[in-house]
Amino acid sequence: MDFYFGLAQLIGVHTLLGLSAYIVLLTGQVSLAQAGFFAVGAYTAGMLTVLAGWHLAPALGVSAMSGAAVACAVGFPALRVKGLMLVIATLAFGEGVRLFFFNFDYQIAKGGIQVGPLGGEGFRQIRFFPENGWGTGEVMLFIWAFVVAAMALLWWFDRSRYGTVLRAVGEDELAAQSVGVNLTAVKVSAMTVGGAIAGVGGGLYAHYTTHIEHASFSILLATFAIAYPIVGGLRSVFGTLLAVIFVQGFLIEGLRFLGDWRNLLFGALIVLAMNLRPSGFLGRGRHA
Amino acid sequence: MLDFFQTLSDGVLFGATYALIGIGFTLVFGVMHKINMAYAAASVGGAYAGLLVLKVMAGAPAWLVFLGAFVAGGLLGWMVYVACFHFIPLSSPLATLMSTVGMLLLIDEVIVHVTAGMPQGYPAMFDDVMLRAGEFSMRGDLLLVFGVSVLAMVGLLLLLYRTRLGLATRAVSQQPVAAQLCGIRLVRVNALTFVVTGLLGGLAGALIGASVGTLSPLLTVPLTVKGLIVTVIGGLGSIPGAIVAGLLVGGFENVLQLYRGVTERDLYVMLLLFAFLVFRPGGIFTAKGGRD
Amino acid sequence: MKTLALAVSLALAAGVAHAQTIKIAGFGAKSGVVRSFGINSEAAMLAAADNINKSGGVKLADGSKAKIEVEFLDDRCDAAEGISVIRRIAGTNAVVAVGPTCSNVAEPLFGILQKKVGDAGDSGLQMPVFTDVAIKVGLAKISEWAFRNVPNEMTMYNSLFYWLHTRHPELKSVYGGVEEDFAHSRATWYVVMKPRAEASGFDVVGNTKWLLADTNFATQVREMKKANADIVAVSAHPFSTCGVLKEMQRQGVKPKLLVGLTSSSSLETLQGCAKQAEGIIIPTSFAPINKEAIFAAKTTAKFKGAADLHSMAAWENMFILKNVMESEGLSGKPGDLQSDRRKIRDGLAKLKTTNGLIGVTKRDAEGEADKPYVFVHAKKGEWKVLHNPL
Repeated sequence: MDFYFGLAQLIGVHTLLGLSAYIVLLTGQVSLAQAGFFAVGAYTAGMLTVLAGWHLAPALGVSAMSGAAVACAVGFPALRVKGLMLVIATLAFGEGVRLFFFNFDYQIAKGGIQVGPLGGEGFRQIRFFPENGWGTGEVMLFIWAFVVAAMALLWWFDRSRYGTVLRAVGEDELAAQSVGVNLTAVKVSAMTVGGAIAGVGGGLYAHYTTHIEHASFSILLATFAIAYPIVGGLRSVFGTLLAVIFVQGFLIEGLRFLGDWRNLLFGALIVLAMNLRPSGFLGRGRHA
Repeated sequence: MLDFFQTLSDGVLFGATYALIGIGFTLVFGVMHKINMAYAAASVGGAYAGLLVLKVMAGAPAWLVFLGAFVAGGLLGWMVYVACFHFIPLSSPLATLMSTVGMLLLIDEVIVHVTAGMPQGYPAMFDDVMLRAGEFSMRGDLLLVFGVSVLAMVGLLLLLYRTRLGLATRAVSQQPVAAQLCGIRLVRVNALTFVVTGLLGGLAGALIGASVGTLSPLLTVPLTVKGLIVTVIGGLGSIPGAIVAGLLVGGFENVLQLYRGVTERDLYVMLLLFAFLVFRPGGIFTAKGGRD
Repeated sequence: MKTLALAVSLALAAGVAHAQTIKIAGFGAKSGVVRSFGINSEAAMLAAADNINKSGGVKLADGSKAKIEVEFLDDRCDAAEGISVIRRIAGTNAVVAVGPTCSNVAEPLFGILQKKVGDAGDSGLQMPVFTDVAIKVGLAKISEWAFRNVPNEMTMYNSLFYWLHTRHPELKSVYGGVEEDFAHSRATWYVVMKPRAEASGFDVVGNTKWLLADTNFATQVREMKKANADIVAVSAHPFSTCGVLKEMQRQGVKPKLLVGLTSSSSLETLQGCAKQAEGIIIPTSFAPINKEAIFAAKTTAKFKGAADLHSMAAWENMFILKNVMESEGLSGKPGDLQSDRRKIRDGLAKLKTTNGLIGVTKRDAEGEADKPYVFVHAKKGEWKVLHNPL
């Protein structure tokens, strides 16, 4: 049972990562920076619970804010860059965040030993959950509370004017501008919301693995972040959830019985999925 | 002062490898307006395939291995085209992006499975040649890489501007619909673009393997990132831009490594990219605009 | 006669019906650049299990014998996946887990285990983990359920530098090359090699740095050339080690001696750059220097794995576990799974020494090992024993 709870925890964390890319993708921006916001949230929450002794919930609130702040700062220059250049620019930003943490040391002495992030060595012993006796089921529920909240928020956006505006910008910027949509506000706000969600996800991830380092937030993670909404389809938030379950639950854990073939199938199935359903699982199918 | 020039020269020369891989990225972008994220992986894959020549004929000369990589690269390029670009409609850029990522992962895994992840020594040409002028020295094998990039550039420019295939390619990149109306077969042009860039990629992979001395799956992702950065700095679609940008990035990163150390080096490369995006978004040689 | 035959067949049937298995789970990296580690560890575990089973198996508390079953899972050298894997293993009837390969997986994984045995307020996982490969210094103390059978680099390099100093009194200076972005190689230079070299009377004149996936070492080797040290110590994994060695050849940098990182004393370095690595000296906890070691290597080869310090640790682990199981008296019944796991943990914690393939291994209170070692050097594409301090 523990295993399934643990898997559900991981799926929850990755869903948050995917959702953060989802909302940005709705506005037509392909952002590989989400892993960077995720990292900011992870280190923030970790430092608050380990160095300052905070409870995880308020620490996650600060993670959300720091993720949002960094995302907002990225959102403005991102306006100047279009299409595939944005992909590369956000990739470079994500790498920049990783490199920042690679060089980041902040240790204080607690109980006779040094704790805190230590550059290349990483940030170890983020043990809020086990130290406070949380069982795997309880952690799962905690994580999913945030996932459900994020999904509800985005689902509500989709039903409101804001969501329509987001998608309008994603479909055709020029047309949206000509009916009076403020592109800057829309794109930057989407990026900010995405950053907040990624920040929370990152904070939860840090406490899930108890040890984070710069290499945990690599380009691969950034690619996973946009893979989820692309493979899941942009029609609804459930597409992203479905894609996370497909990748983490099916491809990574479910195919274990295939032994060595599992890794080969991973890339092959993604290629196949994109060929068969280019707009994603819950997208519009082959006919636009 | 000599330190600075030596470091700059070392970096610029190594940048020739980035230039070579950047040419392929920028060509695919210029023609199909899509990023092929699997390009560097396919190039490294081609280089690995070149090693099969040594299995068949032990002690084969290096250039024969490079030839093997060249051919294998072309084949891989065609496979990437079929898997990622042929069936997916052009109106789904996200799907092609994701499928090339899937292809990158697949090629990486195949390499890991076949070699059990172990580094493979790679044959080299002129790797013991060092041109010296007193304290100053330059690697001979990197000069070869630079020479090949220039030749590749000349060859590709000739192809693009002096042949019918090149004309068709340029037509397709500017106005795909009008080109089809003129009787140009879109599928054939696109497939051939991938094959040509694949051939170059295989050669690039082999030369990079020779310059580094060993091939490892560790090479694929960093090369992809460098290739993309070089493409953007040089100007999307511009082949001379890719070469200049490659040398620039190579020199810049090495000089910054000298002064700021290896852990901060890549951060500065990212900042260089951002500087270009802010001040010169078209890159060094902005490609001539199309309709949009 | 008939009743006798019936009685015998019934007894046999009863014996067969009670044929028990004890499951040991192995896990490690079977993907990426470290794939060979996972393949070799798995082969060593399967080979050891096969050997144990052929000699009758493990004796349980009730006197019956059980066969050992090995299942190996791939964690892809990823922390989150490693955690998933150990939870999955904990959900099966495996009594102990052997692994992981990567230190960056070991650290988080040990972090989710219960820190102190019997602490009711700690909800960490209660599963004994006996590591064969992950070598970064100081990990087992993270949890009382974590144990390792990996070489103690502090002892080995101390001994190596002392021996080098005694044997080559004319060599005075040491220069280091460090792979900065990989926890193990970085820690080994700053925490182990540098201080141990100084303690042995060498003058450490400096060090240069690079990253794991770097491809251009011109600047670093130039710094090395300037330092002109007698001994160059390279704390890096095979890919960048080969890159540096090739650049050294290019620039004509020929130190009198080369010292390498423990985990680079494997086939990988020789595959990548045997010629340039000629003569590099590395301390290692495995070399085929006696009958047991050669036998272990041969048997593992039958299961398509190579024998090196990493995979042979997995082999040793299997036999250590067999002894612990027999001395603690496992029940092997499904209902006693958790108590069996606890018995194994307690048994491992009690051990003061274990039998290594090349000598006796000492164990400490933190769950770490102090393994016997030899110094090997690369000669003509093979690792040959240079000095056997045993």
